[in-house]
Amino acid sequence: MKSRAYPFYFAGGALGLYLLFYVLPSVMGFYYAFTDWNSYSSEVNFVGLANLKLIFASGQGYLLFIKNTVVFTVATILTKTVIALGLAVLLTSGLKRLAHFHRVIMYLPAVLPMLVVSLIFKSILNPATGLLNTFLREVGLGFLAQKWLVDVHWAMPSVIGVDTWRGAGYIMVILIAGIQAIPKDYYEAAAIDGASGWNAFRHVTLPLLMPVLAVTTVLNLLYGLKVFDIVFVLTNGGPGRATDTVYTVIFDEFSKGRYGVATALSSILFLVMIGLGYFVIRFMHREETR
Amino acid sequence: MKQTLYALSALLLAAVLIVGCAPAQPAAAPAAPTQAPAATQASAPAPTAAPASKSNVTLTYMASQGWIKDAELELAKKFEAETGIHVDYQIIPAAQYFNVLKTKLNAGEATDIFGGQSGKTDLKVQYDVEKNAVDLSGEEWVKRMDPFALDQVSLDGKVYGAEIWDIIGSNYFVVIYNKPIFQKLGLSVPKSYADFKTACEKIKATGITPMFEPISDGWHHVLWFPMIGPRFEELHPGLAEQLNANKVKFADNETMRLALEQLLELYKLGCFGENALSDAYADTNKMLATGEVAMALVPLAQLPSLKKDYPEVKAEDFGFFPIPLVDNNLAPVHPAGPSKFIYAKSKHIAEARQYLAFLMRPDNLQYLLDNTPEFSTLNFSGLKDKWTPEQREFLTTYPAKSIVYQDAVNYVNPQWMDIGKDLVAMFTGTLTPEGVLKNIDQRRADMAKAAKDPAWP
Repeated sequence: MKSRAYPFYFAGGALGLYLLFYVLPSVMGFYYAFTDWNSYSSEVNFVGLANLKLIFASGQGYLLFIKNTVVFTVATILTKTVIALGLAVLLTSGLKRLAHFHRVIMYLPAVLPMLVVSLIFKSILNPATGLLNTFLREVGLGFLAQKWLVDVHWAMPSVIGVDTWRGAGYIMVILIAGIQAIPKDYYEAAAIDGASGWNAFRHVTLPLLMPVLAVTTVLNLLYGLKVFDIVFVLTNGGPGRATDTVYTVIFDEFSKGRYGVATALSSILFLVMIGLGYFVIRFMHREETR
Repeated sequence: MKQTLYALSALLLAAVLIVGCAPAQPAAAPAAPTQAPAATQASAPAPTAAPASKSNVTLTYMASQGWIKDAELELAKKFEAETGIHVDYQIIPAAQYFNVLKTKLNAGEATDIFGGQSGKTDLKVQYDVEKNAVDLSGEEWVKRMDPFALDQVSLDGKVYGAEIWDIIGSNYFVVIYNKPIFQKLGLSVPKSYADFKTACEKIKATGITPMFEPISDGWHHVLWFPMIGPRFEELHPGLAEQLNANKVKFADNETMRLALEQLLELYKLGCFGENALSDAYADTNKMLATGEVAMALVPLAQLPSLKKDYPEVKAEDFGFFPIPLVDNNLAPVHPAGPSKFIYAKSKHIAEARQYLAFLMRPDNLQYLLDNTPEFSTLNFSGLKDKWTPEQREFLTTYPAKSIVYQDAVNYVNPQWMDIGKDLVAMFTGTLTPEGVLKNIDQRRADMAKAAKDPAWP
């Protein structure tokens, strides 16, 4: 304690607020997850594991929503990271001319509100009147036109595509900062050893970028698990239930007044995120100390 | 010294935090229900108003968007001129309305009058009228109200709501068809499902979309099912009652399954066009006026709105018939609609009763009807209606025998959007018609149990 720059009680105020507004509601949430709290009755009864049983063992489709969330998360982590990495390398070493301008352009979607992005894409992806299908038909690629947001097989990939378009620029900016922090000496040494561009990327850029990639992965992971707005506006979980994710279902359950089930779902997600977050942070820490 | 300084600054910081938080509380209380300022206003006039003369009273009234017509606002001004009682209308966006209302009812701070859809399930489960609303059974206007509508605002023999709505023109969703297209193809008005299917196929062969079905809105395509409740009742007398008593289930009923199978068949045949899943209800008038579609499912009062948007359209070019699934030939009697309830904990119950009685005066009802373009009639006797010959023809051709299932069967209306999702899943092949019915049963059971319905032990 003595060795610290500030005494412990300095953190007291912040800690108090944190406990009151973050920890306490979360713990209360866990309690409500085991009750039948709903809008139809003023009583709140303890129902044990009934809500968890409903989610995991009732066959009412909750597992599909969890699967959709995982698919969305994994897919967006991969697409955003690969595209952002490619763009970051291109805009740091490949494309020198107007690099800043290009970076701004690539980053722009991230500053647009999600609602605006979703509404614009909803119109672009309209199968009859949308820009995308009209363009495809005009250039003679009509056979590629799909019912993007209303086809069971295309709805999720479309949502993932839109989210990647919006999110890749943001990840790219973080990766550019990471790449720029790599000392030039490594590349010079690699060049002297006769390394090709690919080898320099594979053996210099990528390993030294790992801590930054870990950060972007955590960001994408937590974002993906919590995804709501883009799905809600683009497909509202449809067609049918094909793109419902955990948070759209939580919203649904809350609006139906089934607060107990909704709280159980969000508590599960809370635990999963804490667990995954812990492992990824430990992984990052190991990378840093290595 | 340093330590004391640190400790002092820490104390100061804590004090600032506490002080900073403290005055926020009184400010936060009115800020919390931002969606509806009703709570603060509902309680605000209370101390000044009650004992003094009535002219100081302000009645607060919360309703969803679209429920309050301009003519009613005019009537409220007239009421204020006559009595000095001001009515403060608080209009909430439709998508949030029921959440805001339920929150306010649960918190015990609803407005003096609150709006709500009538229907027994809604009265009991959504608003708990026995606890939250004033018994209006003794009011004079009750005797003049349409008996179907009266039943929808009543619970256990007591009247709780004042419904003023065009329960026919706005509520009867029927198929509107383009007479010239039908004549050109030699088609007559379908009397059965088979007739309708044939008509669809013939129309489709000409390149015209037979039926405009905007599924993207999520609610419209659901109409096809509960709206043919009178037909279910005709084939299985007492079915609604048995469903409410939990003696039978939706999934047990072969007519219901057949209705969904036919709906699925129409979808697969392309009767609803290529883009039904992304079509929007807002385009209905455009599609009808341009002749891009031959039919659509619309309220009986669609014609005035169609004429307003497209003045060149001739009303006599359009006719109506009921949803033809399972050979239905009955009018979709749907007496539930936006109603007004007096909040049981209101401090101005007498004034609220006075206001409702004022609105229900025959001259005021006629004023409301005459000055609301989308109303063709109202649910009260002794008024002069505005039916066109085409609408009148529908009303005389198709008998009104019993009411639609979103009104007749408990726990159906609150799951409307869920049924919509299930139907889309059925159209896209991930759910069977039987699966849709089973899901309806499941959600009914969930709601009934939450509401502690004795029929679901």
